[in-house]
Amino acid sequence: MSEADFTVRPTTGADGPYWRALAEGRVELPRCAGCGRWHWPAVFRCGECGSWDQQWHAIEARGTVFSWTRTWHAFDGSEKIGVPFISLIVELPQCGGRRLLGLLEGDADGLRIGAKVHARVAATEIWGERIPALSWTLSGETA
Amino acid sequence: MTRFNARVAVAGVGLRQYKRAQAPLPERGVLVRAIVDACEDAGFDPADVDGFVAYGDDKNEPVRLMSDLGTKELCWSSQVWGGGGGGIAAAFGNAAAAIASGQANAVIVFRTLVQNVSGRLSGAVMAHHLNDHLLGAGLISPAQPCALRAQRMFEHHKVPLSVTEELVRASYYHGARNPHAVSYGKELDLDAYRTARWIAEPFRLFDCSRENDGAGALLLVSAERARDLKKKPVHLVGVAQGAGKGWGDLLENDDDYASAGFASVARRLWAQTGLTPADIDCAQLYENFSAQGIASLIDHGFCTYENVAEFVRFENLIAPNGKLPINTAGGNFAEGFIHGIGMAVEAVRQLRGESANPVPGARTCLLAGGPGAPTVSSAIFSNDIIV
Repeated sequence: MSEADFTVRPTTGADGPYWRALAEGRVELPRCAGCGRWHWPAVFRCGECGSWDQQWHAIEARGTVFSWTRTWHAFDGSEKIGVPFISLIVELPQCGGRRLLGLLEGDADGLRIGAKVHARVAATEIWGERIPALSWTLSGETA
Repeated sequence: MTRFNARVAVAGVGLRQYKRAQAPLPERGVLVRAIVDACEDAGFDPADVDGFVAYGDDKNEPVRLMSDLGTKELCWSSQVWGGGGGGIAAAFGNAAAAIASGQANAVIVFRTLVQNVSGRLSGAVMAHHLNDHLLGAGLISPAQPCALRAQRMFEHHKVPLSVTEELVRASYYHGARNPHAVSYGKELDLDAYRTARWIAEPFRLFDCSRENDGAGALLLVSAERARDLKKKPVHLVGVAQGAGKGWGDLLENDDDYASAGFASVARRLWAQTGLTPADIDCAQLYENFSAQGIASLIDHGFCTYENVAEFVRFENLIAPNGKLPINTAGGNFAEGFIHGIGMAVEAVRQLRGESANPVPGARTCLLAGGPGAPTVSSAIFSNDIIV
């Protein structure tokens, strides 16, 4: 997968490095060099300790399902995903419990809050744009 | 205590609601109609309105209304941040702040939505919040983040799914008895509710609010001035807006994720007014989606995750005798949905005794804004001076 496969759009926030890493197939999240707190959404300055030094770390995209919804209504823009599809919020214990989003691919048997999942980087096509995103798979074991 | 009570009152209301794409005028024309309605309701010259407040990214900048209204001078023009209905009650706080501080004398709170101009409401709301994190997960419509929160509430916090049916039934019960409601004369068919098509699990079709075209306007003046106008004043007792730490536009990383986001707003509202949930006689409870209405009741302290099924029972939620009649005009589910402004109008009508579903002797009404929004707000109105 190369950056050319994706549309990486400008952001007004502090999450630029997330998108650049994702487009290269890596998941990176920021951690405050001042107090060690994982921040997500990304911040420019740590509101807890005041540090401007936010370090990006490659992380393993593994976690547990925090919540999920299966969409059945074909909302405008989602045509290329195709209904039904399942959206996940995944909690990452290795990153202070911060949560990432994504779609579930593969078998949904055993989908429940607390189920273990892992992800690969894939593209979600919305309104004609290929957005880099996490595509989660159930790991077949529960937390 | 910054109580607005006895200082600012709603003196007039206007509501023009149409089925989608059936508004007889373009958007600004519908809004002017609703504002003039509100002024006529109060017996007030529209030219003397000198302030305007909207919410939810309304597209009608007040300065553009001046020629139609004959506005002598525009003294206050503001809008509450946020794309959703979370700011509805905060709009009354803005208006009251303007009046109480002497920056304006007569302020209209309004919301307008005619879809050939502003597009589908759900799309407009979401456009405010969308980013590629959400899009990458297929989250395009407000129904989906709300569904994620609802799933967490049902599955993790063990709230019984049946409570949403009680809430939706109550709104439809009132709507069926309100000649101005879209659902007038139509009771909710429970079988249809339970088997309706899925939108985003756990929501089926009737767990979702409607979308209508129209405009609503409410005229606020000082309580002193309101006494000399045509209708009985309805006082703004208190209002709070905002978000607590750990809540906001956080890519679904909010603390207390399954809630509706009102914890800090409700705490400040009760502290500011000295009232408690037990003092509230009826509520206009913004329900974009059924589960968020439930979460809003929990956040405001009417019930808890543990006892929600005891409180959220159909009989408890309907006029005239329920413990807390909610959405007495039918609410966003059954009356119609112009981004919630109809609920504010109903709060006033209920406290004047003009509701189609009167709550006998009601003195207080809670207006709880759009639940689950990053910025939320709530207000309490009363037909009495509560000291």
